[in-house]
Amino acid sequence: MAAAARGLRGLPRALSVPSAARQLHCSAVCLKARAARVRAGKGDKAVTYEQAHAPHHIGHRKGWLSLHTGNLRGEAGAAQRALEDAFLRRFLAGTFPGLLADEAVLKRRGNLLVVCALLGRALPPHKLYFLLGYAETLLGTFYKCPVRLELQTVPARVPYKYL
Amino acid sequence: MAARAGPCCRAGLSGGALLSRALLSRALLSRALLSRASGTPAPPLWGRAAFSSAAAVSGREGPQAREGSVRRRGWTPQFARSAAPPRTERMAVDQDWSSVYPTAAAFKPASVPLPIRMGYPVKRGVPPPKEGNLELIKIPNFLHLTPPAIKKHCAALKDFCTEWPSALDSDEKCEQHFPIEIETVDYVSSGTSIRNPKARVVTLRVKLSNLNLDDHAKKKLIKLVGERYCQETDVLTITTDRCPLRRQNYDYGMHLLTVLYHESWKTEKWESEKSEEDMEEYIWENSRSQKNALDTLLRIKASENVSNVAEEELLASEVVKNYRNSVIALKNKGETESNMSQYKESVKKLLNIQA
Repeated sequence: MAAAARGLRGLPRALSVPSAARQLHCSAVCLKARAARVRAGKGDKAVTYEQAHAPHHIGHRKGWLSLHTGNLRGEAGAAQRALEDAFLRRFLAGTFPGLLADEAVLKRRGNLLVVCALLGRALPPHKLYFLLGYAETLLGTFYKCPVRLELQTVPARVPYKYL
Repeated sequence: MAARAGPCCRAGLSGGALLSRALLSRALLSRALLSRASGTPAPPLWGRAAFSSAAAVSGREGPQAREGSVRRRGWTPQFARSAAPPRTERMAVDQDWSSVYPTAAAFKPASVPLPIRMGYPVKRGVPPPKEGNLELIKIPNFLHLTPPAIKKHCAALKDFCTEWPSALDSDEKCEQHFPIEIETVDYVSSGTSIRNPKARVVTLRVKLSNLNLDDHAKKKLIKLVGERYCQETDVLTITTDRCPLRRQNYDYGMHLLTVLYHESWKTEKWESEKSEEDMEEYIWENSRSQKNALDTLLRIKASENVSNVAEEELLASEVVKNYRNSVIALKNKGETESNMSQYKESVKKLLNIQA
């Protein structure tokens, strides 16, 4: 916002009227952080523990959703793991549409990729098993590494708070 | 019978769901089929029952479970139908835990019979319970590594282990038989690649006392290696990483050691030009200190009008020997209290000054 105002001030003024210039008014309120935060509402919006806590609580009240050695000092592969994580979350959202009760937790143990997902109970077990096998086979073929899905079902999304 | 939910599988999914959701038409179809199969007259298809979902999983349980089940259609995963009770309720206190968690696995609240709570509590509340608790799933757990489980691992691995050789029961024996120590590092990381460029570094360590070197060879070797030799521990350390593979770096390190050994035994022609600055330690013979001491003593003798005393006699005398030792100690070992006082005494004796 401030950068845009500075840019506009550099524009040439209108030829005839000396004082024809547009200004921008920026206020501090617009600079509020909005990342991964659920804004407080009327008290009817149920949020899970994961949604209720903002990113600055990671490491204090929240753990990490993805565990691998790529982000340690002196280790390589952080970018590749981040890309794999992004793809995996989209893939899971598409394979289990409407079923994911919470974010999937990705763990890497050496070559093995473990995906822990919390699902709702909308599908019968045999369909869930099919999707499990489908996801494991497809992801294993994509990434050339063993992929294990550990699914748990919950009756409903677990509300932590109502915002 | 595709419309009927398949054979019920309680195992595997924790908090196992026994329900099947189907569209209304399929529910009607299955209801009709089931009732035809079981022989009972079909309940009214419309009305209250029109909004029922499909029958329960197994045909045998069909009639009881179907009655009085009013469910809402739509994609909400809200099911009040009873799921199987968690496995924890059927666990004996003395069960074999290593069969519940044989390998590293995520936390399963229905398999762990502990009343664990985790998370930041809401105001005037308690931490959230373990059911559906993502924080418990996120953290690595060691439920598969209880002491009895580790005992089982050790028992299984014992067949693949060999005993330490009984002849090598002390550090000195190990050093005597294996004087060269090779150090390599293997790196484990998570990801699809096992390559790590840091793994090619090889460090070779050997004590020079274990090598067959005479005085000249040892001094020449120390001069050749420079920083890689540690005076206190008498250890030569060679670190190689210039080759891409560990095996190549190891071979290069051994080659360096061999070359150093053989080169230090050779004496080149230009080594005879070694001057006083190149000396590693202070040698008193033919030094300025010796000349000065002899000069002083000769002049003392001349002033006392003593007949010419031979230099060798002077050098062999007690006072000069004392002086020589104290000067060598000062130069080689540095200045300490005892060194300085020793030097003071020897100078006093040399110049015959009695305080």
